[in-house]
Amino acid sequence: MPNYRVSMDIGGTFTDIVAYDQHAGTYTATKSSTTPGNLSAGVIAGLESIVDDLSDIEFLVHGTTQGLNAFLERRGVPVLLLATAGVEDTYHIARGPRLELYNAQYRKPSPLLERKDVIGVGGRLDGQGLEIRPLDEVAVRQAGRRAVAEGYGAVAVAFLFSYKNPAHELRAREILLEELGEDFTVSLSHEAAKEWREYERTSSAVVEAYTGPVVRNYLLDLEKKLGDRGVEAPLHIMQSSGGVLTAESARKRPLQTLLSGPVGGAMGDVELAGVSGNRNLIGVDMGGTSFDVSLVVDGKPDVSTEAHLEGLPMLMSVVNIHTVGAGGGSVAWLEAGGLRVGPRSAGATPGPACYGRGGTEPTVTDANLVLGRVDPDWFAGGQVSLDREAAIAALKTVGDQLGLDPIAMAEGICDVANSQMAQAIRTITISRGIEPRDFALVAFGGAGPMHAVFLAKELGIPETVVPRFPGAFSAWGMLQTNIRKDFSEPYFYLDEDIDVAHMAGVLRSMETEGLSSLASEGVPEDSRLTNASVDVRYQSQEFALNVPLTSADEPESTDFVAALATRFSAMYHERYGHSNLGAPIEIVALRTQAVGDLGRLDAPRFATAQSAEFKHEIRPVVFEHVEHQTTVVRRDDLAAGHAFEGPAIIVEQTATTVVPPGFDVIVDEFGSLIIRTQDVEGN
Amino acid sequence: MTITAVKTLDPVTVEIIRNALTSAADDMNATLIRSAYSPILYEGGDCVVALLDTEHRVLGQSAGLPLFLGNLETCSIAVEELYGRDVWKEGDVWILNDSYLGGTHLNDVTIFAPIFDDGAVVGFAATRAHWMDMGSKDVGGSMDATDIFQEGFRMGPVKLIEAGIETSVVDLIRTNVRFPYQTIGDMHAMIAALRMGTTRMKELVGRYGMDQLDAARDEIFRQTEEIERETVRNIPDGVYEAEGMLDNDGINLDTPIPIRLKITVSGDTVDFDVTGSADQTMGPVNCGAAQAVSALRVGYKLLVSPDSNSNGGSFRPLTTQVRSGSVLGAVAPAPCQWYFSHLGLLIDLVSKAMAPAMPERVASASHGDSMIITAAGFDPRFGRNFVTMEATLGGWGAWQGTDGESAMINNVNGSLKDLPIEMMETRYPFRINEYSIRPNSGGPGQWRGGNGVIREYEFLADCVVGLWFERSKTPAWGLFGGSDAQGPEVVFNPGRSDEVRTLKANARKVKAGDIVRLAVGGGGGFGDVSQRSRDEITYDIVNGFITEDFAKTHYGY
Repeated sequence: MPNYRVSMDIGGTFTDIVAYDQHAGTYTATKSSTTPGNLSAGVIAGLESIVDDLSDIEFLVHGTTQGLNAFLERRGVPVLLLATAGVEDTYHIARGPRLELYNAQYRKPSPLLERKDVIGVGGRLDGQGLEIRPLDEVAVRQAGRRAVAEGYGAVAVAFLFSYKNPAHELRAREILLEELGEDFTVSLSHEAAKEWREYERTSSAVVEAYTGPVVRNYLLDLEKKLGDRGVEAPLHIMQSSGGVLTAESARKRPLQTLLSGPVGGAMGDVELAGVSGNRNLIGVDMGGTSFDVSLVVDGKPDVSTEAHLEGLPMLMSVVNIHTVGAGGGSVAWLEAGGLRVGPRSAGATPGPACYGRGGTEPTVTDANLVLGRVDPDWFAGGQVSLDREAAIAALKTVGDQLGLDPIAMAEGICDVANSQMAQAIRTITISRGIEPRDFALVAFGGAGPMHAVFLAKELGIPETVVPRFPGAFSAWGMLQTNIRKDFSEPYFYLDEDIDVAHMAGVLRSMETEGLSSLASEGVPEDSRLTNASVDVRYQSQEFALNVPLTSADEPESTDFVAALATRFSAMYHERYGHSNLGAPIEIVALRTQAVGDLGRLDAPRFATAQSAEFKHEIRPVVFEHVEHQTTVVRRDDLAAGHAFEGPAIIVEQTATTVVPPGFDVIVDEFGSLIIRTQDVEGN
Repeated sequence: MTITAVKTLDPVTVEIIRNALTSAADDMNATLIRSAYSPILYEGGDCVVALLDTEHRVLGQSAGLPLFLGNLETCSIAVEELYGRDVWKEGDVWILNDSYLGGTHLNDVTIFAPIFDDGAVVGFAATRAHWMDMGSKDVGGSMDATDIFQEGFRMGPVKLIEAGIETSVVDLIRTNVRFPYQTIGDMHAMIAALRMGTTRMKELVGRYGMDQLDAARDEIFRQTEEIERETVRNIPDGVYEAEGMLDNDGINLDTPIPIRLKITVSGDTVDFDVTGSADQTMGPVNCGAAQAVSALRVGYKLLVSPDSNSNGGSFRPLTTQVRSGSVLGAVAPAPCQWYFSHLGLLIDLVSKAMAPAMPERVASASHGDSMIITAAGFDPRFGRNFVTMEATLGGWGAWQGTDGESAMINNVNGSLKDLPIEMMETRYPFRINEYSIRPNSGGPGQWRGGNGVIREYEFLADCVVGLWFERSKTPAWGLFGGSDAQGPEVVFNPGRSDEVRTLKANARKVKAGDIVRLAVGGGGGFGDVSQRSRDEITYDIVNGFITEDFAKTHYGY
């Protein structure tokens, strides 16, 4: 009987799977090895280890890194680009910024296709979408034949002003498909990203064309295999926006899945904000080479309409993840007699010295091991055994030159790394106008909980939350999301030129489109919802803020433009610290977000402690240059209501939480560790 | 409990303080960008911030615009020289935009303040940002000013805030600039950045105490100095020279402006001498000496310490010689609006001069400076006036092992992006007929220079157009046998009876239907053309970077 809601998050090494048993109201998390080459095999094996009968699955959501990996490893399909003749170099000019100011040998981001792969096609529209010159259909047909002859795997089409009038792009696709067959991938820029700015829109279409066939083939294969094993629930795919889509829709718009990997964690933050009542959270996820920071402000994720990957832009809704170059693999080294930590990382190969894979330089992970903050037998769920002697030897290579013994050296590395991470968080929050002290920290990922409390201390953040299954938090977050589809319509008017009736009409037709798309996602009628909003900026600015409207009809209400200006100014003030009420504003785009409510999951209840006692051991661990008798406890041995003082180390299969002296730990009713400073001043 | 002086500081604390100082500058910068009113600041990043110690040495500085590197300290030093050290009072904030003290044009305004803790000065916070308009004779700045009084109003160091209260200087600013609302907004953003710096500095003083901070500072400076001296020591001793020229000063169009650089490397020191450069000019291509020093420091940093954050230990191996009364050491009343044209050239000249000594670190010359087109007029579609200014993209020089990059912003404009055609045509009465990579414009070589761009505008309404295109007389040069690039060309109404070629123009009238075609220069080549492989030449032809004819002529293809 359908009972389980299941999510799967494929990482480089492990696939995390979380299942929610709706009858029992309990969650289960597991890990299976990722099986590169045949990812579906690992996914199916993982599913079968957690749910006996796969037909019992009622809802299945999946975060895929297929497209992302194809992009990062540059193994997408060869793409032929058709662009407006005369300006077809737009993609390679790439707007020309030089992002490393002191690098005379700077290279632009590496494009996904070469100049020879671009064809300028005659035909031109003006800024209103009116035709100046007709589409050169002969050139399009020749391009199609060239794509066949030269073995291109996809065609991207990006014409000027197609967001205003898609006729030329649509006609080009008809011709191309006649030449290339109905199943060939043709990505149109106005469908990949219905936004102005031709470089960014072209880049979006090229990324979609480049990665699309890879994602599509993977999803078709996975859907077939799931079907063969009796899974009847439609597969849902996590999107970069924080919402989910059916796999069928994702195959049509694969770009939206590209950055979905780390987004699950941010959506987990949002859910935690909902159940804990703590509306403002800073999420930290630390892996081997990077440290990801996400923000939840007033219960909402921090979403942008543009993202960059290796310098290439994509216009789409994306939950902001700030990546800081620090991780367990960050290397400590000497420069002019001074200690440095990172930004270079030992990566996975050779990795930290303690991995015993030939690494000889000391890393943050080596330091944690020597300090006793990592259990050598439990690291990464016991999959990797750690060599403490190798870590000490590596620490001595740097420590001897600084006159620091391995313990002092190890603590020094952690202190420097923690202060760097804390400062990076502070700068990110300040640039968003946020005071970190008013937030709680949420730590997840394998190494996040090992450093989080130190970061909180440095930032003056009074409370740190380590959710259950911190290693599988991203997968858990995916279970908490809704169906989401985004629609945009470039709509450029100065405030004094706005035709409110026309604007409401466009918004209503977008609303209709959104509702019907939810119907096609299988969302029941009473669970369909749309939100209208408008991108607004002060005249002549480039970047706009997305201002919510009460409904698609709002533009027809009395004094709408004045009300919009006031709302925009208030948001602007919140974002930038000042505003300019009365200055001319302009509208850039209309947006509609269609949301299919998948129903709330009950907040996961956690077994209550029967006694204040719990199984633990006491072990010496170094904090602030001194060995402390430290409580070491397995997370499985804790129940809701248990409380103890730091120093403490809480180990579990996927993560280790380190609590320095001066902090208290409480296990709350959901099983989260709540770690609070004993200093009432919050310092 | 007795407090004992810190004898030696442990390396961990030094490194934490070093990071904290850089991070404090980042926080100041984030505050400025977040609060600024003008796109040139929050999108263009035309600003810089720094924390200074009591001796005006840089403790931490944001990356900021390269040309603002390492001369913020001249402002607080100028105040002390004028009024003595006792002039600093808690709650005071100072402002300065004097070109001859700050070095740049009047639009670059520096605001700075002493930081007090417990009644004593513990350092300074400073920020410099580009203001949109300073009341010059033309909106935003002029192309043909002949003295600084036409370029706007000038402030030596004066108090903007006294004991926490704004002085009447704020009113003076408000009444002298064309966009007072935005300008005062930007001013407040800069003051907010100073407050952030002050807070961070006081936190550090509270946490570590001045003794530890001073000891850490000395060690941080020592490390930086040692890293740079080590690099300089590895450069062979000798005298290295390079020379280039600006086409003209915008007024006397037939008189080129030579810039001459002599570098002397001796042991772990290096001296940059630009005293042989031209006298200051009637047209606005002059800068104050402080700015020449900045440009030289940028050139030095590109070669010696590109990856590290600058601080008070930076540039210690470097001495500079600038002649007062020259284009690089202008004195009143020389106009300074286009102060960066020869500075971009100077930065390239550092690379050219040092090429024989550090072949693996240098690159051949880039296309030059901003290559600006402005247009203003009445847009009949909206019934409104419009004004626009664009810096265009050009080619960058090749270096050992790599072709130069095509179509990229010049070295004095930071990370600026071009304006999208879709925004351009929606907002202004233009049509962009062509925007392409200009074939053959990069210099040939074993490694090919990058190409410039072609951008062709068709005007749909009557307008006035301004142009500032440079470096046609010394187009981007090649190194080690690589060839020079093609320089810029601008043509009005190409092929028509009223065709005109010019590189500089102030308020030139054009009619609806007129065309202007900009061709921006490329970057220089690197190494001998005979060493370029046939495959690479074929690749360039297939990808349209060069034409087949060009390959035959220049590579013997």
